[in-house]
Amino acid sequence: MSITSLLGTSDRGAAQSQWAVEAHGLTKRFGDNVALNGVELRVPRGCAFGYLGPNGAGKTTLIRVLLGLTHADAGTMSLLGYHVPRHRAAALARVGAIVDEPRFHGHLTGRQNLQVLAAAREPAARDRIGPALERVGILQRADDRVTKYSMGMRQRLGVAACLLGDPQLLILDEPMNGLDPAGMHEMRDMIVSLVAEGRTVVLSSHLLDEVERTCDAVAIVDKGNIIRQGPISELLAGTSLVLQVECSEPDRARALLGATTIGGQVEVSPVGLGITLPTGTGRDVVAEINRVIVEGGISVYRLQVIQASLESWFLSVTSRLGAPE
Amino acid sequence: MTTVPDVSSPAPAPIPATSSVGAWRDHRGSWIPTGGMISTRFMELRKRRGLMLALILVTIGIPAVFLLIRLLLHAFAPHSYGPAGGYDVFTGLVAGVLYVFGFIVAATLGCTAGSIDLTEGMFRHLVVTGRSRLALYLARIPAGLAIIVPLVAIGFTVVCAVCVFAAPTQLKYQGVNVPVNLSSAGLQSWAAEHPDEVLCNFNLNVGPNSSIAAVVNAAPCGNGPGGGQPVFKQAPGSQGQPQPSQAQIEHAAVLIARMNYADYARQFLYPSTSLMVKTGLWIELEAAVGFIVGLGLGSLLGQRTVAVILMIVLEVILTPILSRAHIAHMINLQRSVVGLAVAHLEPSGLGFVFGGGGGPGGGQGTARLVPETTTVAVCVIVAWLVGWTILGAWRMMTRDA
Repeated sequence: MSITSLLGTSDRGAAQSQWAVEAHGLTKRFGDNVALNGVELRVPRGCAFGYLGPNGAGKTTLIRVLLGLTHADAGTMSLLGYHVPRHRAAALARVGAIVDEPRFHGHLTGRQNLQVLAAAREPAARDRIGPALERVGILQRADDRVTKYSMGMRQRLGVAACLLGDPQLLILDEPMNGLDPAGMHEMRDMIVSLVAEGRTVVLSSHLLDEVERTCDAVAIVDKGNIIRQGPISELLAGTSLVLQVECSEPDRARALLGATTIGGQVEVSPVGLGITLPTGTGRDVVAEINRVIVEGGISVYRLQVIQASLESWFLSVTSRLGAPE
Repeated sequence: MTTVPDVSSPAPAPIPATSSVGAWRDHRGSWIPTGGMISTRFMELRKRRGLMLALILVTIGIPAVFLLIRLLLHAFAPHSYGPAGGYDVFTGLVAGVLYVFGFIVAATLGCTAGSIDLTEGMFRHLVVTGRSRLALYLARIPAGLAIIVPLVAIGFTVVCAVCVFAAPTQLKYQGVNVPVNLSSAGLQSWAAEHPDEVLCNFNLNVGPNSSIAAVVNAAPCGNGPGGGQPVFKQAPGSQGQPQPSQAQIEHAAVLIARMNYADYARQFLYPSTSLMVKTGLWIELEAAVGFIVGLGLGSLLGQRTVAVILMIVLEVILTPILSRAHIAHMINLQRSVVGLAVAHLEPSGLGFVFGGGGGPGGGQGTARLVPETTTVAVCVIVAWLVGWTILGAWRMMTRDA
């Protein structure tokens, strides 16, 4: 049986899979060091998925295992429904990836490097070289040698290499590295447009702000484990709410609120009150606080609800915050 | 921001693939490399300017410069410097220069092709394409050979051209300038006209009491001290014998010429077409072996420098030693050295490969090597090619990218 026909038997099952990436009990050891410790990960299709973690948490190792760059010691995984490594060729035919910093043959031009990579893919990949270069914005420099490229241009070339296979799944490891603010903005737009085309983008990054702006869902990895995963909005919904109130008499306002049944912790600051409300507090409670203060004859200058950011949430759930050196 | 499915609830229907259905059915799991993979690999190697310059310099530049200098010297001082080409120059350049340098150059290219994807970070890009790692490895073999074979061929062609077209016009046989292409009668006639040169220089294989020996012993050979009187070549105990007549001398010269004709007929002004073709193929075999072994070693080690050094040590130090020294307890190990095996396939008519140069008449190139049959030599070469290809491919297939 040829490998093509062998893979063909799994094609229908793969197309029906609801997950772009699925890993169960994935374990990878380097000697005594456990880089991945029974990772359970599910990345839904058609979204931008952030993959976050502190340095050394195992982000790149998981990507390398998923792509077959290194083997797993235990566990199962699939990409786009194709079991890896059993149907690795079929899976990777639909995957584009940057792992670590993108490095290329420096003596070749960007276009020639893509020709080398396109030759290893399907014949149609050669026709995608020009459009891919244009899409990442380096078409004008495509015939320069890569040694003359900046780090940001190499990142763009790496993304162009990902696009050669017209992938359904893109795995980008720190794609914002080396990009200037305008480049980061373009990269963000490109990721959004890729998702809009129906592709899945897995974005590994330590730039939490970028991930929050770009991604729909995230997974947090720490010490080789996935400690949280899900849509960002749901994850942040589980955090406490902080209400900042700027008013004319903060001390009296605190006393007024203390006499009510409104829960939460009230602290007086030079600019007003800081009220920390428990998880799940509704908008009506905010309105009630405003009403109590105003009816007490205190002028309210500003009232702002501060939702916890991805960064603050990330720091709270990972072990790095406050960890001893 | 786009809408994301809830990871804890069933996902919506899968998004249609942007790729056409079955677009990946391109046999990328096959171990056979595609033409595109080979051609782009060829391009990647060819674009290495420094490496290509070094290869051209060694395979073409060194013999070309050597021959050019000989051409110029002969053109300006023909009496002091002999012709640039000829049979002896051919055997010397082939056995002493092209054989060794061709191997080193090919090995350098092989080590580069075997390791450079890894060191330059392209290996993981290639692996992520899903293409079979074995196919990625095998694509390097035809690509590298497409570079090294023409380079060696050009260098060899330069040597052949100069050795043929700038060959001597007179044959120097036993130190005597003799017209070429003489028949046996013609050589005897020439000997009758130049009896002194024949008697004093040509080989003589007769008994000491023969009449020819008596004439030869009495023949005037060279000038004596002071340059005046001729010195007579006399055997011990032959003093006092009467001087041979001119007719006796000429008769002896004719007889000696007749004896030497078979040897004379084997002398060449320039290499024959057959020898050049065989030698060209042999040099290409050596280069191909160097490339494929270097490719495997480079892939195995994952770096170029150490692999190149090891290949040079093998060719320049280990192989000559193991090919010449007859060590009784290691004779089979010595026979397994690929350089020795290739040397045993050397065409007859060339010189000793690790000593360089061919003597008059040639054909003694392998006489000083550790003995090995042609069958064993071929088996050793095939084993090295297959073995190193398996090792290199295995390492590439199991290496972390």
